[in-house]
Formats: sequence, C-alpha cells, structure tokens
Amino acid sequence: MVTQPARSAVRTTTPAVARSRFNRFVPLWMLLPTLLILLALQLYPALYSVYLSFNRIQAGNLIWVGTRNYERLFRDARFIESLGTSVVFVGCYLVLTLSIGMLIAVLLNQRVKLTSLYMVLLFIPWVVSDVVAGTMWRWLFQQDYGIIQQWLNPFTNNVSLYANPTGSMIIVILASVWRALPFTSLVFLGALQTVPREVLESAAMDGASRITSFSRISFPLIRPTFIVVTIFTTIGGLNAVGLILTLTGGGPGGATQTSGVYLYKIGWQFGDFGQGAAISVVLFLINLVATLFYLQFQRERTMG
Amino acid sequence: MVRSARQKLFDTISVNGLLVMVCVVSLFPVAYALTTSFKPQFEVLTRPPMFFPQQWTVEGYEEVIFNTDLIRYHLVNTFVNAFGGSVLTVAIAVLASYAFSRYRFRGSKVLQLLILGLIMIPSLTNLVPLYRMASELGLLNTNVWMISVYIAGGLPWSIWVLKAFFDSIPAELEEAAQIDGCSVLMSLWYVVVPLSAPGMVTAFLMEFVFNWNEFLVAVTMLTKNTAKTATVGLWSFQASFETAFHVWMAACILIMLPVIVAFLIVRRSFFQAILQGALKG
Repeated sequence: MVTQPARSAVRTTTPAVARSRFNRFVPLWMLLPTLLILLALQLYPALYSVYLSFNRIQAGNLIWVGTRNYERLFRDARFIESLGTSVVFVGCYLVLTLSIGMLIAVLLNQRVKLTSLYMVLLFIPWVVSDVVAGTMWRWLFQQDYGIIQQWLNPFTNNVSLYANPTGSMIIVILASVWRALPFTSLVFLGALQTVPREVLESAAMDGASRITSFSRISFPLIRPTFIVVTIFTTIGGLNAVGLILTLTGGGPGGATQTSGVYLYKIGWQFGDFGQGAAISVVLFLINLVATLFYLQFQRERTMG
Repeated sequence: MVRSARQKLFDTISVNGLLVMVCVVSLFPVAYALTTSFKPQFEVLTRPPMFFPQQWTVEGYEEVIFNTDLIRYHLVNTFVNAFGGSVLTVAIAVLASYAFSRYRFRGSKVLQLLILGLIMIPSLTNLVPLYRMASELGLLNTNVWMISVYIAGGLPWSIWVLKAFFDSIPAELEEAAQIDGCSVLMSLWYVVVPLSAPGMVTAFLMEFVFNWNEFLVAVTMLTKNTAKTATVGLWSFQASFETAFHVWMAACILIMLPVIVAFLIVRRSFFQAILQGALKG
C-alpha cells in the first residue's frame, strides 16, 4: 500500500547461501503457511460472500437470483438511512479521533518528566473490549443511577441521553473516540518524534509561532503517517459494530444504526444471508473507494 | 533565546495540566467501573450516585465468580483462544515477513499489497461463510476453529509490523552467520529473532489484545455455554443481571484485568516498537 523507501534501502543483498539452487524455493516454503491460511479463511469466505450476494437461501439451499439483492437494497429506505448514519458517525469519529489524537501526541512530544506515566494511563482504553466498553459506558449514562447522566439531568429534563436520537449518537461517537485515541496518539507521537528538533528550534528563533511551525514544518513531514491513520480510522469506523451493538443496539428508532449494524441485524438476526452479503459487498467497495481516495490525495501532495 | 524561563515554567504547567485532564477523562469509565464493582446492591441503586462506595464489599465479585460461568469456562476459553491464536499468528508471520524482507522474488510486492488489502474486508463479510464452513466441518463451538479464524484475521497486521522490523535489521549479520555455517532457519532463529524481539512482542500484544476482546466471530460461532468466551458471556449476562450493576462491573473488571497486566508487562517494548514506526506504512 505505502512503501517505505528509507527502510527498503537497507535491504541490499540477499543472503549469500540463499542464492544457491537448493535454496531458491526457501521464500516459497516460508510463505506457504500464510498463503494457505489466508486463502482458506480470508479469500475464500470473501469470494463466497460475493457469490452469496447473488443468491437467496431457501430451506438451506442457494437459489440464484441475479442482482435482485442489490436492487432490493437500494430501494430499502432503512439501508439508505443507515448509510447516512454511517456518514455522520464516521465523519465525527474521524475528525475527533484525528484532532484530539494529534493534540495528545503534541502534548506528549513536549517530553515533560512524567510522559511515560501519562502514556501508560492513556493507553488503558485500548485494552478494553467493545463489549466491556459498551457495558461501562451504558452504566455512566444509565437513566436513574448513571453518574454522568446525573450531572446532565438539569440540562436534559431528567431524561437519559439514550432516549434521545442525537444524544445516543453522541454517546456512541464519544465511546468510539475514547477507544481509538490511545493508538492514534501513539502512532502520531512516533511520527512527530522523527521531526528534527533543530529545524523547529531554528524556526522558533526566526520568530515562527508554534502553530506556524506545526502547520508548515511538522505536519507536512508526518503527512504519510497521517494519511495511513486516516485510512485505518475510516475503515475502522465503517466496520464498527461491537461497540454500537452493545451501547445502543442501533436505537433509539434506528438513530445509531450504521450500515455495519444493519448488516449484522439483516444477516444474523433476520437470517437473510443473501441480503446481508450484498450489504457487505457494498461496504467493502466503500472501504476500497475511501482508501483509494486518501492515497490519491497523498500522491498529489507529495508530487507537488 | 526566544522563550524565557518564566514562559518555560508556564509551558510545563500547562502541558502537565492538559495531560492530567486527558488521563482523567480516559480513565474515568474504568475507574468508575472499579469503584462500582465494590459497592453493595443497594448503593448501586441510590440517588444521587456516588463515585466511591460508602461501604466496600466484594459481593459483586462473589456473585460473578460463584454464580456465573465467567471464570469457570468463559475466561479459560478466552485465554486459550487469545493466547493460542496470537502465538501461532506471530510464528507464522515471522516466516512470511522474513521472506518478504530478505528475498527478492517475482510478485513479492503485489503479494504484500494483496495481503495488506485483506484488512479492508469488513470482518462482517466473512461471518456467514465462516459459519457455514464451521458447521460443515463440525467445528462450531471449538477452540480450534476460533484460533484458526483469529490467525487468519491477525496475519496481515502481524506481517506488516514484523516486516518493518526485519527491514531495519542489516542483512549483513545473517550473511556472516550463514558464512559461518548457519542454515537460513538457524540464522533466522539465532540472529534475527533475538534482534527483533520488541517487534514480535508488539505483534503478539496487538494480537492478544485483539483476540481477547474479539466479539463478532465469537458470538456467531459459540452458542454452547462451555465454549463461550468472556465477551460473549458478558453479552448474555444482560438477561440475568438487569440492575445488579455492581455484578456487571465486577465482571468487566475481571475481563479487563488479564490484558491490562499483559500490557503493563510488555509496555516498554510495545511503546518503543510503535514509536519507531512499526505501523508507519
């Protein structure tokens, strides 16, 4: 996807022995387990899913229905609505995760004394599972006894934020950002540390403000990392299901039902595998388009 | 200098202040779960809610440990699946990323891109086919199947992390070892593996945390109570512990504890690896 010229330059020669005839197939043997597993448990199921999307399951048998699943999908008001919900969710999730993540990375990059302690504490949400996070966050906003709900009550007329479509979307977004921030800020911090200190210091001497030196020096240098993180955050947001499912189950009234959640419900709770497969193909295409879009952006910028 | 001593002091205070704030926000849900888990039932249902218990008790933990299958089955299964899956993923990924890093062969770049591209497939896409495969092979409700699926899901990530690490180790070291009579696998084992330990620890931790917390595949494949993992178990608690929030939170804490400990043990290697750009791409 993204090559790393600095690193690949290190790889100059193949080990001497490997050039002998006997060893020519060594890389193949080393790759064999990986290839077999990925073929059987990633590629085959994915292609099977594409095949399923052109079928209907009736009494355990597959019946070919052509593109009917897709036609039905784009007439399905709930699916169209779920796409809109996904856009809102992914948009907010992306902007908040990237901006707060970058802010935390900049703060950590000041190298104050307790930085390593802060990093450990900040990283705890990363090890929490979606279901556990969902359970804990639901408790924070519980209608009668939730501690954060308690603080909010004066502003919400004693009604739980969950009962409100916008409110539950806010909870879902905040909880997802909370889970994503540790990793994002750590990766950004790694990138920021590669920016040469001397350059920043001399810019400061020349009177550049911090904001200027961030936007003119640091950010352009870490742009490749920024793009990669953007891609994975977008894909992660589009495919996020576990947390939303445990927090709101897609409610109230479908307010937090992203396409991923809808796919889970259609395919799994209603057992409409063909329709579910069609949604997952559409989701994959969205992932692909988003990725290519961001990569294009990176190429343009580095060329110019 | 442009920045005076006074300004420096102000910087230090504001940076520390902001970081403390961020830490408090990021720890709050976990901390509140922890204090709730030590409350008795009536305190959980008291208004207004308090952060600390008035009366500390381990009732919630007793309930989870003795009256549910969380410790008996679910956490055991979680550990088997997560640990087995991560160790095997890293072992297989070491071989593959070594081949990608050290050998030039036709199609190497394309293959790497394809493997990385698998990350884009939504995990939901494969659920139905994987379920059908498992039921045909008679592997539903088994650890073997869960481990296999986790390996397949983790390989692209681990290969990515490990290849970056191998690339940063000069090939001359292995050449020297091979001239001294090591086979390829021996030089991999004795030279490359020790040097890339932080990379392997990182790949292992990422896989372990991911598998430990995995929910979608588990909830689909595991229907028998004795085969369920902790996340699925917690999910099915919903029915039985409606307002016993201290029990819920005790279960949450018990599920989080092992991964937090694992993270704390290897945090140095992990931070070092990610900061050095294991995921830079």
